[in-house]
Amino acid sequence: MSLKRLMLAIAVAGLVVFGVSACGGDTETVTVESGGGTAGAGDSGGADGDSGGSGKTVRIVASVPPTDHGWLGAISKDAQAQADEYDDIDFKLLEAADADSQAQQIEQVISEKPDVLVVLPQDGEALTPVAQKAEAAGIPVVNIDRLFTQPDAATATILGDNYQIGVLAADYIGEELKCKGKVVEIQGLAGISVTDERTKGFEEELKKVCPDGGVEVVAQQPGDFNPDKGLTVMENILQSENEIDAVYTHDDDMAQGVVQAIRNADRDDEMFLTGVGGSQAAMDQIKEGGLYRATFLYNPNMAASAVNMARLIGLDEGFDELVPPEVPRQVIVPAAVVTKENVAEYEEYAFD
Amino acid sequence: MNQAAALRNRFGALQFQEYALGLVVIALFVTGAILRPDTFPTWDNVRNMLTQASIIGVLAVGMTFVIATSGIDLSVGSMVAAAGVFGGTLVDPSGGTLLFIAGAIGFAVLLGTINATAITLGRVVPFIATLAMLSIARGLALLLNDKLPVGLLDLNGGSYGDPAPFSLLWFGTGKILGIPISVWVFLGIVVGGWVVLNRSRFGRYVVAVGGNREAARIAGVPVRKVIFSVYVLSGLMAGIATVLLCARLGSASPVSGNLYELDAIGAVVIGGTSLAGGRATMVGTFLGVLTFALIFSLMTQLDLSTEIQQVTKGAIVLGAVLIQRPEARY
Amino acid sequence: MNGVAEKPGAGAAATVLEVRGLVKTYPGVEALRGVDFNVRSGEVHCLLGPNGAGKSTLIKCVSGAVEPTAGEILVDGEPLPERDPAAALGRGVATIYQELDLVEDLSVAQNVFLGHEPRRGPLLDLGRMRSDAAALLARLGHEKIDPRLSVRALRPAAQQIVSIARALSYDARVLIMDEPSAILDAGEVETLFEVVRRLTAEGVGVVYISHRLDEIRRIGDRVTVLADGATAAGGIAADTPPDELVRLMVGRKVERLYPERPAGGGETLLEVRDARALPAVRGVSFEVRAGEVLGIGGLVGSGRSELLRLICGLDSREAGEVIVAGRRLAPNRPDRAIAAGLGLAPEDRKSQGLLLDWDLTKNITLADLGRFSRGLLDVRGEREAARAQLRALNTVPDDPGRRARELSGGNQQKVVLSRWLLRECRVLLLDEPTRGVDIPSKAEIYRIVTELAGRGLGVVLVSSELEELAGICTRVLVMREGELVAEVDGEKATERELLSHAVVPTTGPDLIEEVA
Repeated sequence: MSLKRLMLAIAVAGLVVFGVSACGGDTETVTVESGGGTAGAGDSGGADGDSGGSGKTVRIVASVPPTDHGWLGAISKDAQAQADEYDDIDFKLLEAADADSQAQQIEQVISEKPDVLVVLPQDGEALTPVAQKAEAAGIPVVNIDRLFTQPDAATATILGDNYQIGVLAADYIGEELKCKGKVVEIQGLAGISVTDERTKGFEEELKKVCPDGGVEVVAQQPGDFNPDKGLTVMENILQSENEIDAVYTHDDDMAQGVVQAIRNADRDDEMFLTGVGGSQAAMDQIKEGGLYRATFLYNPNMAASAVNMARLIGLDEGFDELVPPEVPRQVIVPAAVVTKENVAEYEEYAFD
Repeated sequence: MNQAAALRNRFGALQFQEYALGLVVIALFVTGAILRPDTFPTWDNVRNMLTQASIIGVLAVGMTFVIATSGIDLSVGSMVAAAGVFGGTLVDPSGGTLLFIAGAIGFAVLLGTINATAITLGRVVPFIATLAMLSIARGLALLLNDKLPVGLLDLNGGSYGDPAPFSLLWFGTGKILGIPISVWVFLGIVVGGWVVLNRSRFGRYVVAVGGNREAARIAGVPVRKVIFSVYVLSGLMAGIATVLLCARLGSASPVSGNLYELDAIGAVVIGGTSLAGGRATMVGTFLGVLTFALIFSLMTQLDLSTEIQQVTKGAIVLGAVLIQRPEARY
Repeated sequence: MNGVAEKPGAGAAATVLEVRGLVKTYPGVEALRGVDFNVRSGEVHCLLGPNGAGKSTLIKCVSGAVEPTAGEILVDGEPLPERDPAAALGRGVATIYQELDLVEDLSVAQNVFLGHEPRRGPLLDLGRMRSDAAALLARLGHEKIDPRLSVRALRPAAQQIVSIARALSYDARVLIMDEPSAILDAGEVETLFEVVRRLTAEGVGVVYISHRLDEIRRIGDRVTVLADGATAAGGIAADTPPDELVRLMVGRKVERLYPERPAGGGETLLEVRDARALPAVRGVSFEVRAGEVLGIGGLVGSGRSELLRLICGLDSREAGEVIVAGRRLAPNRPDRAIAAGLGLAPEDRKSQGLLLDWDLTKNITLADLGRFSRGLLDVRGEREAARAQLRALNTVPDDPGRRARELSGGNQQKVVLSRWLLRECRVLLLDEPTRGVDIPSKAEIYRIVTELAGRGLGVVLVSSELEELAGICTRVLVMREGELVAEVDGEKATERELLSHAVVPTTGPDLIEEVA
């Protein structure tokens, strides 16, 4: 290849890369504009919002995974709704399909210099470097749900306690089974902190609550947060285990597939099931009673809290309860158990 | 006479690699029987595995035809999701089984036709065209019902626990002569696929197109029509697969079908159909589907961790390919 | 030895290559049964024999690709190490195969020095590679070929020159050429002969394998005839009469290579009017009548194959008409052309005519599956029909279950013909049907072709072998640069006359053409 051709190839490649990244690659931009109190769904506008009346406008950009999963869908809705409550917030929500494109997206955002960045990373470890970069560039980061792995990657963190969910599940199941019985665990996506925490919390609490090992975990398989995977995995487990007393699943949506497998096999009287997340379908089934007994959730409303915290950071203010007022470094939102008894209370938070 | 020809003549109808894969299937089954003697080698479990195999199996039959023309269809998994959600939106809040089935299959055929058009008229390379459809169909699945699944539990012909014949849920759990409907559908499609591939003009043309497109053209084979048809066929199979899946799942989920195309392609390839086109075997595809179903079932029932499952599955697939005759490898 | 004077110049030269009592046995087959063969420095020694006689095995042993079971191979008197192609090359034995071993995407210079590139330190010395390649090409009289060009841009004839240059780069003492004229037209063969003469003038010994008796007569000094793995005649004079050569090969007297010329003169089966498909075909008109064999000669690039493809609807037709049995044929519709009764046996039978992995039955029935399908295919019926066709054409083996790949070139061609005969087509269009086919099979094909004409078919025969055109055609048309420039009566045609029409008057054929 001659030198001329080489130069031309490099030039073309450079143009392509530039063009693709300028168009945002495979990231989706859902732009939500807050315009003084009206709860409009987003129409795409520019990054420059209208400034509020007096005082400063806080420009907040949020980066989250694709909100196709129910809980994540609730996150984006709640965040937007909260942003709409304030007229001194200019809010933009971005979605990214995977860790790499999310990192690229945040890099771009850094160059636009927002006031605060709110991030729910696809993968806490993978996104830590770019979060550190944002912090280093003077943009405070608020980390939701999936933890970054370095302390200097975020100014404030708000997370649900996945470990606690596991604990609550172990408590509930241990009690219902009176510490004697066989449990199947259908996990979420293998390898992410959410799944690991929910499993760990469950295992460790089970040892504490039922120390003599009366409750045995006979199968533990990932369902990838997918109902059809949950279905097929459970079908196989039902084949190999002819006595199951309880099923601990990591996710309500995924659990629908697990539930169906149990029903198809006509074994819904044999066991009961718990989920995580608080979906409407789960709440309905809990209300009916029967197979689906409980779900554990930490509220997707934490996204709204994150927006609040971001705003306060942007305005250089803090929680009035603290002396002096500041935004705490880490807020852990408690998890709750939802059963037939208290489902009415939690229904308003249920997501579809 | 070279060795492969000699072996082929000796074994008669089936090719050597089909026998080899059959051995793999038997070996996997025996392994399961040894490791879980009470639960694995039971009729119940066999029914279970065949039912699970039926979804990928139906897709793999269509994929066999596509790959035989030296094409590929990367979009089948997403088409399954999109077709299911589309059918679901038609029957939500009220609508019958027939509407769902017609809607789902019709939508899937439409998507397949779009693939076919892009490839034959638009001259887009199949890999790219179906890759684009993979994305589009997934997007449609999420768009059509606002990212939500559609519950289909009331398509049961009236009775909740025991679906009426020919209601949607009956396709998931109903049985005829003790064999689940899914399995009947799957086996029917495999047999039908075999007949079309080996005993019909169309099947002969399909393999000719993949084997040597120019030679086929010179011999008068309607190359463009044949290529168009196989992608529509693949869409049709995706529609049937989604009916079977939704029937068992009781809902149409927009995130279902994830990576199904890889399993379908894998089953076809380890069965002996050549990715380069020109050589196809439906028996091989059937055995390939069984192999994957056995692997999944065995490993889940042995409660192996995900990491071990991934490694083992890859090793078995590699092993299955290595036993096959050298000419078939690439 | 047999009283015929040997050509001057091949006198007391040293023997560069000698093969003594070479035996090669494969399981169940004795490919070589004690072959003696020697090549002198500066001579062109032709190797002749039917397919299966052992020519390729002999060559593979000499070039080191295959290890002989017994016997000796000596280069300049020293034995060659066995089974070591690199050693053979190192000693100066270079082979040019029919499927040229060039890498299309690399340049001429890169190909010439592939495997033994000149280096400067750890890096390739591109400058020297280019200049050395240019020097080698000049030695062959082809300094016009630019060493920087990609091989893909060259015509097959030029690619062959590059292959020869590559052999020279190894300081070849013996150059073995396996059917080099198979891919060349008449003009290019002349050029090749020039190159061969240059090489022999430098003292290189050339082994020239060919099926074309006229070439052997023209370029060869001596001939060795192989048959059934043994030397039927070793080192006889190259101007031995063809009948004698054929007898030595086949072991019996073949009546004549060319059967009786068909008379033609029946109704017009195919009419082509002003067909145009630029740049290859620029307005061609002719007719094909029942009962005739119509030859079309011309150089490579004259548009003959493109013309046939255009007639059959495989390539697009920009203008002009094709009329079969009075009906106009729509362009670009190969299925319509076939339905109207045309059948094409393409130039490259392996890559376009047959599906090599398929059995013979499927290859034969592909164009006429409608006959065997009532809903489902009647597989047994197919097989029987195929068997009947194969038998009718004396195909060896006539087992319809064999894979097409396993047959020899001549028999493969018969399979292609069987396909169209099954279909009962009315006009057969044959593009170089005897290329790469051995003499006995050629005779067979000529017999079949003339018999078909006799039955009332029309046959169009495109060929680069002028002798063949003059031998069996009723009429011969000559194409030059996309136009028909002459029509010659078959009986009266001579090779010289055909060649003179085919060649562009000013310069020789251009070997380099930028492929669009």
